[in-house]
Amino acid sequence: MSDLLAIQEGLANCLRDAHSIAAMRFLAGDQVLVERRLAIYRANVSANAVKALAAAYPVVQQVVGEAFFAGLARAYRHDAPSSSGDLSEYGDGFARFLAGFAHVRSLPYLSDLARLEWQVHRAYGAADTRPWDPASIGMVAPEQQHTIRFRFAAGTSVVESPFPLVRIWTIHQPGVQDGFAVDWSVSERALVAREELRVTVTAASAGDAAFIVATLEGATLGDAAAAALESDAAFDLSAFLSRAIASNLICGFSLDEDH
Amino acid sequence: MATGIGLRQPHYREVFDRRPGIGFVEVHSENFFLDGGASMRALERARELYPVSLHGVGLSLGSADRLVGRHLDKLERLVDRIQPEFVSEHLSWGRLGAEHFNDLLPMPLTHAALALVADRVDHVQNRLGRRILIENISAYVAYRDGDMTEPAFLAALARRTGCTVLLDINNLYVNAVNFGFDPVAWIEELPPSVVGEMHLAGHAVTDDGLVDTHGSRVSAEVWTLYAEACKRLGPKPTLIEWDTDLPSLDVLLEEAAAARAIAEDATEASSV
Repeated sequence: MSDLLAIQEGLANCLRDAHSIAAMRFLAGDQVLVERRLAIYRANVSANAVKALAAAYPVVQQVVGEAFFAGLARAYRHDAPSSSGDLSEYGDGFARFLAGFAHVRSLPYLSDLARLEWQVHRAYGAADTRPWDPASIGMVAPEQQHTIRFRFAAGTSVVESPFPLVRIWTIHQPGVQDGFAVDWSVSERALVAREELRVTVTAASAGDAAFIVATLEGATLGDAAAAALESDAAFDLSAFLSRAIASNLICGFSLDEDH
Repeated sequence: MATGIGLRQPHYREVFDRRPGIGFVEVHSENFFLDGGASMRALERARELYPVSLHGVGLSLGSADRLVGRHLDKLERLVDRIQPEFVSEHLSWGRLGAEHFNDLLPMPLTHAALALVADRVDHVQNRLGRRILIENISAYVAYRDGDMTEPAFLAALARRTGCTVLLDINNLYVNAVNFGFDPVAWIEELPPSVVGEMHLAGHAVTDDGLVDTHGSRVSAEVWTLYAEACKRLGPKPTLIEWDTDLPSLDVLLEEAAAARAIAEDATEASSV
């Protein structure tokens, strides 16, 4: 199989580098035409990467414009080529890339926006929730309740940012008509959630965000509530739980067997 | 004979509302490597209305190094969930080592490549518990060395593994022009019984050759070649593929109706 490996390594080099001649000895036909034909493949590879990245980051694309986004996508692919035949996995490092990319320094919120969009992208294809009976919480003995571990709907996450991230994301959604004013003095915690099939992005209070983050990391109700109160003395546990259950953010719980 | 259309997101609602009389719909498997959500719900709805064909573009059956188990795991899960009519992939490679080019790159037509791809197809069919279809790709470069023609390669692959061939008429035409061979002679080399499905799509004409774009109507030359294929191979389930610059659903349905008419004419003519 070494011949096949050599051929594929040669062609791979030509796809990465327009100046490479690594595949020439394997390819038939006039060399000038072969070089032009290899350019078709390079254009396809690049276009597929741009398209996949744009599908995951539509708001970043709107903010920077299509042409600049295509340039960003090419630079990103150079830095972090796709490793999967499933292009929905492509782009998980885009936020980190943007944070270090000199040409977008004038848009300091762009990396956080990309972090948010990646979570939205993941939430879109997350598992659907199964029906459950919230009244079953009431069956837990009062002295056991602090050991409850809530389960959030798949796709739930919190993206914290010093920028008004939720506002920025919202005004770039299709059909949004409420003007484009952004109060840049506000910092927001974006809660990404699934309501049925729809992905929602809403601003969460510091307490709610702390509770959700702690729970997602495996904390019990008692520990998550303590974390929420520490970051926000006004955190209202019962109000939060009513909202979270009504919106299907919470979709079940388990009891800590160790307690 | 069943004619189908590629089902793409902008047409979901209209297809579900109108339920046009088509034989099947085809989607890209990788677009549904998801746990749930709106896309998966739409595919499940489509499955209630039509037979579904899962057409893979990312398995990279021909990679010299290995087959990615995780990709096959996801495909297996999707096949279990959707219970499709067809599962297809390409005679191509797209990944080497850690880098995936997410494109369909040609295989050299050698005995060694045939042995490798046959092993992979066996493995995939064993995992999925069903036969798959393997499609001839469009290509822009060809290898100097080879042991056989492409139809001979595909026929041997089918013989060894029991897989069938997804004959893409547009890809065949693109290659015939790009490399200067007779596409009808190519078809005549393929045993009719190994062909399980045909694809039709549009291509672009450029200074450097024809480029397979799936972004326009089927060209007159490809319709003619399709008629020749139907005459020689008999009617096969046929799909209109359209991926870029998506037209209205009605345009896709017109193309599917045109395919049906040509297949019926060709079959009548050959049975006279």
